[in-house]
Amino acid sequence: MSAPNSNQRKACWGARDELWKCLDDNQDNASSCEQFQKEYEASCPAQWVKHFTKRRDFLKYKEKMQTEGFEPADGPKESQS
Amino acid sequence: LPIVVLLLRCTLRSSAVQQTSGSTHHPQRAWLSSQVPLCGHHTPKHRTGLYGPFTHPQQTLGSSRGPLSLPLFTQRVALSQGPNTSTAKIRLRTRLVVTLLFGGGLLGTWWYVRNEKQQNHRMQRIEQLKKVALGQGDFSLLDHRGHRRTKRDFLGSWVLLYFGFTHCPDICPDELDKISAVVSALDKDPSLPAVQPLFVTVDPERDDVPALERYVKDFHPRLIGLTGTPEEVKVAGKDYRVYASPGPKDEDGDYIVDHTILIYLVNPDGLFLDYYNRMKDDVQIAESVRNHMKSYIKLPE
Repeated sequence: MSAPNSNQRKACWGARDELWKCLDDNQDNASSCEQFQKEYEASCPAQWVKHFTKRRDFLKYKEKMQTEGFEPADGPKESQS
Repeated sequence: LPIVVLLLRCTLRSSAVQQTSGSTHHPQRAWLSSQVPLCGHHTPKHRTGLYGPFTHPQQTLGSSRGPLSLPLFTQRVALSQGPNTSTAKIRLRTRLVVTLLFGGGLLGTWWYVRNEKQQNHRMQRIEQLKKVALGQGDFSLLDHRGHRRTKRDFLGSWVLLYFGFTHCPDICPDELDKISAVVSALDKDPSLPAVQPLFVTVDPERDDVPALERYVKDFHPRLIGLTGTPEEVKVAGKDYRVYASPGPKDEDGDYIVDHTILIYLVNPDGLFLDYYNRMKDDVQIAESVRNHMKSYIKLPE
């Protein structure tokens, strides 16, 4: 399986951007964007789909941290002996 | 600075002395002129203390803007009659011109000192990176046309080096596009030597010579792709302390390689000089390379 060439890369990125725009418009409601999801998975290698999904999750998480703040973790719990 | 202030007072005072037609007919004026002048030449009769009682040099420097001199100045204008108003105007103009010249001189000095400082910083950074001494070893790899290339082959050229892999989802194409833009921008300047962009794979299992050939043609025409056996690639990567870690394979055997995302600048002597991360855009990198080229001194043979 050879690596995607420039055109294939651009097609994949385009499909991903369409999907993300749809998700942004629908408050991340995946069911409203099924068509885009299908298109995206068809244009991109499976590994890239996983990679970009993780990336989106991370970006959303980062946005949440920046807008809502966060609770610092409690730290390691005392071990039960 | 005090010396400059004294010089300033001298020039202003001498010009004032020349222009004042004045007779000290008012008692206040007489008092002013009795101040001891600080300059060499003066006529005893027409001694005019320009700034009145000795004030702090900083205040006198303010000249037409200083709080103390202004009331004195307006006083004198009020006191003077007829021909003296025009001399007062001339005096003001002289003062303004001298102030502007002095201010300009200050600005020029500041700008010069700032440039020196920036140059110093650049040299310091180069020294530090030389100590880190990346890329000291040799590498032996195959280029995307199947020819063997070693580090020696690239001595004499400025090199922009990037480690990546062809199955990279977005970062490697972005960085290679950036490098292509930098090289194209620098190509436009005929006074600068041509930069050699290199792409070394961190994924020798999949990135063989044909794969690299397919990949590099989407970027700058001078971009050379380099691959080899896993051993050879590891040696090259280690030389630049490149971190590379293949991820888990999925159903169709595809995987992503986590790796250092840096562009390395190597000078014609094969010395690592600088690196650029994702935050630097092509304009900043081109500017940095240009500066390195300008300050490059060829090592003696």
